Formats: sequence, C-alpha cells, structure tokens
Amino acid sequence: MCMTCYDLLVKLNNFLKINKKTLLILSILLTATFFATIFYKKVGLNVAKENILLIDPKFDIVNPSFTINNPKEKISVTANKGNFLNNNKIFLKNNVFFKSSNFTILSDEVTYDKKNQTAVSKSTSKFESEGTEIISEGFSITEKGDIILFNGKTLLKLKQ
Amino acid sequence: MRRIITILIFFSFQTVGRESGQTEITTDDGIEVFNQEKYYLLKTNVKIISDEYELSADLVKAYFNKDLYDITRIFSDGNVTLISSKGIKASGEKIDFDIINEDLQIFGKNSLFTNKEIIMISDEEIKINNITGNFLIKGPDSRLKSDTIDITGYLIKGKFSQIENINEVELLYVEDERQINIKTETLDMYALSANYDKKINIIELFDNVKIIRDNESILGDYAKINTLTESYKVTSKESGKVKALLDKKDE
Repeated sequence: MCMTCYDLLVKLNNFLKINKKTLLILSILLTATFFATIFYKKVGLNVAKENILLIDPKFDIVNPSFTINNPKEKISVTANKGNFLNNNKIFLKNNVFFKSSNFTILSDEVTYDKKNQTAVSKSTSKFESEGTEIISEGFSITEKGDIILFNGKTLLKLKQ
Repeated sequence: MRRIITILIFFSFQTVGRESGQTEITTDDGIEVFNQEKYYLLKTNVKIISDEYELSADLVKAYFNKDLYDITRIFSDGNVTLISSKGIKASGEKIDFDIINEDLQIFGKNSLFTNKEIIMISDEEIKINNITGNFLIKGPDSRLKSDTIDITGYLIKGKFSQIENINEVELLYVEDERQINIKTETLDMYALSANYDKKINIIELFDNVKIIRDNESILGDYAKINTLTESYKVTSKESGKVKALLDKKDE
C-alpha cells in the first residue's frame, strides 16, 4: 500500500516538473491547429459553393455582362446568373442591373436580346436617375435605350 | 424570398407619404419614357400630386427639359381634373398645362375653369394665361361668370387683372352669330357683339341691341353704356330711331 502511494507521488512530481516553455509551445500549437481548422472549413465551403454554381446545370453563365451601345450613352447590363434561351436571347436572373451615365435599373429577372439590344422584365423593377425614381411591375428597353417602358402599376417620384 | 421582399418594398413605397417638394405620380398601366423626344407617357388612371397642384386623367404626356424631374408641360387626355394650391380648379376632356409659361388650355365638352369668384364654362375651349391675365372662351354656350357679371356668347375673350387678390375683368370682347348676353346687377344686355374697357368704364353693344333695366326695354343697333353712372345711349342705323318698351304693370 505504501509502495503504491510512493509511486504515485513520484509520477505527480515528474508531471509538475514539466518545463513551462514546453507547455506554452504546446498551447500555441493547439490554438493554431484550432484556428487553421476553422479557416480551412470556411474556405473549403466557399470553394465548394462556387463549384456547385459552376457545375449547376440550371444556369449557363455566371456573372454575365453585356453592353447596349447607344450613340449617346453606353448601357452596361450585369446579372448574377444567365440562361441562354436561344442564340440571341438570354434570361438574366438575380441582381440584374442596367447602368448608364444617366440612370440605373435594378430587377430580378430580365430577358435580354443580344442582337436587337432590347430587354424585357416582368419582375418588380426600380429605375433611378438624378431626382427621379420609378418603381414598376416590369419594364422593357427598346431603341437601344432611347425608349424605356415601365409596365403595370407604376410609381414615379420626382424631386429637384 | 427575395421576390417577396421586393414586392413588400414596392408596396411600402406606395403607401409612404409624399415629401415636401416632391412630385408623386402613380399610374395603373405604366410609364413610357422617351429620352430623345423628352417626354413621359403615363397610362391609365394617372394621378400627379405636387406642392403646387394635383392632376388626375386617363392619359398624360409630360414633357421634361434636361432632366427627367424637370417637367415643363403636361398634356392630359380623358376625364381631366386639375386643382392648384392657388385656388384654381379646371376640368375637361383634355387639358394642356404649360408649367413654365403658366398657360392653361382646356378642351372638350363641359370644360370648366374656376378661380375664386371667376367661373368659365365652354363646350369647346378655354384658354387662360396666369402671367398675362389673358383669357379666351370659345364654343357653343360659352360662359363667363363672376359675382358681379354673367356673360354668354360663342367667343368671349379678354384680360383679367388682380387687385387686392380679387380677379377683375379689365378688357372684354364677346361675339356670337345668334346673340350674346351680358348681365350685371342692374342691366340685362343683348347684342351680336360687345366690347368692354374698364379704364373708361364703357360697354359697347353692336347689332340687334336690346337693353333691359327694371321695367324698361330699349332696342337699337348700337349702345354705349357707362358702367359707373349706369347711363346709356342707344342708336339705330337706318331710321335713327330707337324703340323703348315700358312695362305698365310694374309702373
């Protein structure tokens, strides 16, 4: 009985004799491993997401971008996703954005015609220009942006 | 989810009240913006609300100057009603409102313009310029009415002046192929045409003249009436004689 107690005391004594430096290095290593694991998981998830998007069969293009060339101004068209409906028509989805030096239009779903440089949307759209705001149930752009039609119930706010 | 949020934002915008200095336009059937020609086409059940005026119509063509917010002229078609903060009310089949020149034209049947004590009615055209005071009422059964005078004829044109916030007729010309009528508090005048100049306080009546005052009725071809003294002179072209009829009953 006394011998066993003695052995235990010796072991405990040895443990308490561990170098403080070694203990500190061990703690740093453990913390670094912990953060490295979290970081890897996060980056890994994003990469995985992008991969899902890239290989998602529902969408043909990611972040499509086009330009409507009007003699007076250029209108850039961007979106998060796009699907080819035929050779010329592309269905743009999520944050579809039309931007020129004079105005911007934001919508969620737009059908864009590359050849005729026209666009049609049946989703809620918001037009903004200096002192002007138009919210409508859809819109269409013709004549290379010279004519913009806002469809359905529409609210126009003007302020100088 | 995104769509629901967008729809909620859309309807919340609709219900939020208009800020001061802001013009708010709502339509049931959309807006067409013509950048080259510089106008908007507002379609179906259009309502325009600003600090200066409220307008409602079936269809509106709003012209802008350089920027989209800079509206210079509004042409409205179908059941048009315009109410200004200055007390002007106008309604008709069509209204052409030049904001810069303060020129208002009302067209069609039952055209109506009121400005405080002045009422203008026509089945064809009413035109008023708020800066110059010039006005024109044209068409069958055109009428100009105020607290002191009531005029009917096919063509009524003239000029208003505003004295101490009261609109007064300064110059007036009335004509009608059939007959014009000018009624004051004391006189009832008929002719084919008439002139009035406030500076000299004279009304002149031309052709088929008839003046009724109290119980007397004078007929002739020409009359000159002093609106201050209410005295008048009636002449006849052919015989030089005028005809006076007296009602015996009320003598």
